[in-house]
Amino acid sequence: MTFRLNRRKLLAGSAAALGASAFAMGPGRAFAQEQRLRLMWWGSQPRADRTFAVTDLFMEHNPDIVIDGESIGWDDYWPRLATQVAGRNAPDIIQMDYRYIFEYARRGALAALDDFIPDTLDVSDFDEATVQGGAVDGSIYGISLGANSSAMMVNAAAFEELGIDLPTNDLTFDDLRRIGEEITANSGRSNFHGLSDSSGVEPFFENFVRQRGKALYTEDGELAFDASDAEEWFSLWAEMRESGACVPAEIQALDQRQIETGMVSLGHAAVSSAHSNQLVGYQSLNEDPITMHAYPRIAAGVGGGHYRKPSMFFSVSAQSQNPELAAAYINFFVSNPDAASILDVERGVPESAAVREALAPQLDDNGRAAVEFISELGDLAGALPPPPPLGAGEIDVTLVRVSQEVAFGQHTPQSGAEAFVAEAESILARDA
Amino acid sequence: MSTLASPGTAKATTAPKSAGPLKRFWRNNGAGYMFLLPWFIGFFGLTAGPALVSLYLSFTNFDLLTDPRWIGAANYVRIATADAKFAASMRVTFTYVLLSVPLKLAFALLVAVALNRGMRGLPWYRAIFYLPSLLGTSVAIAVLWRQLFASNGLVNSFLANFGIDGPSWISNPGTSLYTLVILAVWQFGSPMIIFLAGLRQIPQDMYEAASLDGASKWRQFWKITLPLLTPVVFFNAVVQTIDAFKAFTPAFIISGGTGGPINSTLFYTLYLYQEAFGFFRMGYASALAWILLVIIALFTAFSFLSARYWVHYDD
Repeated sequence: MTFRLNRRKLLAGSAAALGASAFAMGPGRAFAQEQRLRLMWWGSQPRADRTFAVTDLFMEHNPDIVIDGESIGWDDYWPRLATQVAGRNAPDIIQMDYRYIFEYARRGALAALDDFIPDTLDVSDFDEATVQGGAVDGSIYGISLGANSSAMMVNAAAFEELGIDLPTNDLTFDDLRRIGEEITANSGRSNFHGLSDSSGVEPFFENFVRQRGKALYTEDGELAFDASDAEEWFSLWAEMRESGACVPAEIQALDQRQIETGMVSLGHAAVSSAHSNQLVGYQSLNEDPITMHAYPRIAAGVGGGHYRKPSMFFSVSAQSQNPELAAAYINFFVSNPDAASILDVERGVPESAAVREALAPQLDDNGRAAVEFISELGDLAGALPPPPPLGAGEIDVTLVRVSQEVAFGQHTPQSGAEAFVAEAESILARDA
Repeated sequence: MSTLASPGTAKATTAPKSAGPLKRFWRNNGAGYMFLLPWFIGFFGLTAGPALVSLYLSFTNFDLLTDPRWIGAANYVRIATADAKFAASMRVTFTYVLLSVPLKLAFALLVAVALNRGMRGLPWYRAIFYLPSLLGTSVAIAVLWRQLFASNGLVNSFLANFGIDGPSWISNPGTSLYTLVILAVWQFGSPMIIFLAGLRQIPQDMYEAASLDGASKWRQFWKITLPLLTPVVFFNAVVQTIDAFKAFTPAFIISGGTGGPINSTLFYTLYLYQEAFGFFRMGYASALAWILLVIIALFTAFSFLSARYWVHYDD
């Protein structure tokens, strides 16, 4: 957690305190209308630095407003946010994820932003689908801070050493397995395999079932795939393990689903799964050049697995004393060119066309790769799926566990698939 | 003094005093209770109060965002009848407690006996051996443990010297729990210090008498040291058992909060945390917490009941 108190804030704060004590008994409170907003987000240190810089810039433009920012990691963010909302102490501006926005909005924790559009909050040059991505039951509750998609991170040096071509958008699962086998067999690196075992990676599994014309969840929050899909998936990775294309089970179990513990970062594999806005993070942790590619097709010509997803939103708390000011801050964050130049593509590709254009010349290679990856998905991308229902987080964790049970031989792909679907259904029934 | 005195005698003897038992009590003990006040506030405000609220919550469905909804004993019924993860976490926790506590105590006693021989620099050794206990529950040590027992870790580098190709201990469901047991045993410092203090209490003349009678060191240990040390063993066993049931940090860090691979390190407390803060089932997690309380209470009661058969209080 980071809380920054600079001299200006301290002075402003003490001035406000003095003013409050001097005029507390006085008529009205027209004097020294200083306004405070609290802002909370999850993310790494680089993200915190960028966000604080934008906040400082906003306060320079609006000297009578003070924004208190707070940054913590993803895992700790959700317990803290839930506790604060329950304690009627929620921050005014809340960084929100697609996984949680329905839950929070429907339980009355978020403020609808429709009244502030377009006067305070101008999203006119956003893609309409993007704006609707933050809608719940017909009202806008979140403004997307950037687009991303799931992706494969590839250690390009490991490919180059063996003269293997980097994957293209035509890559199929068969190609991927052949590449994996070739790297495992020939690479001179120690304890190194071609692929990570992605059988427990939910976005990859989702991509797979979408290519089969299914989805993870229906609009009504039911499972939208069945045991046969899961069995195909587990079998596919069982073959990968058998042929040595991917890492063995006990190596894969080292992955704690962070950039730092991914198989590529640990130096155990040349390919692993991530999200496109994490390319910057992957590159900063790896000496070898990292490139980013789309997931393979289940067969040539089949697509639609990927989708452009709002990487995260800013939402306004329903408890906020000043939702309009919070909306103004969000507007500044997503459309001010100076703010955009500070933020870069660290939260995904900006949604505003004007901002994207202004940003283009200053992007470095990774930034350009992130933008191009999203814009060049072509027929690989399909529509945004319905938001995950309550309990989806636990199902995600369950997929990891069952995939390990299959990998360690406690389940066959078939019995594992049946167990996974049964458990997922009971989780959905429990929280419904 | 009698406050129920009959009207006749009341005037004569007790009337002046009967107004004052409370006052007198306050005069005698008031200052003491004033000094205790901060503790009272802390205990009732931060421990007893929330504990009682959690008892109430354990009979509700509560997701933090909406108000708790009373569902009777449904949480407890589910735990008892339909929760495979509860059973798995019980298995893991009991294995951990039953392995780590005896091993840790045996190791602590061994080191304490070795140190209890008036050697030079004893305070230094004591401090050094105690150090792991200070660091033990920290995040840093858990991270270090991951490094030690990973596939490319130090342990395997060491084994490689003997031509042994070790598995990735930490990420193998067959071995991951044992790395946590070793971590617990490594933190033998605090029971060791208590054993050392206990050893100092044993009168030297007993050993002198025993060696005059020709008892070997080994026999002296079994016939003098251990019996006289049983009160300390008992104390350590109770404290360490409670601690082991409550262990959380090492499993949380080493498994990345998942209790994996395949629930092999799903400590009870970790499961409780997942339900509460991972899946926002505060009511269910509260029920789990109360069951843990009952289990620890039962274990402690059993220890005290069994104590009379093996703990020797000399005086």
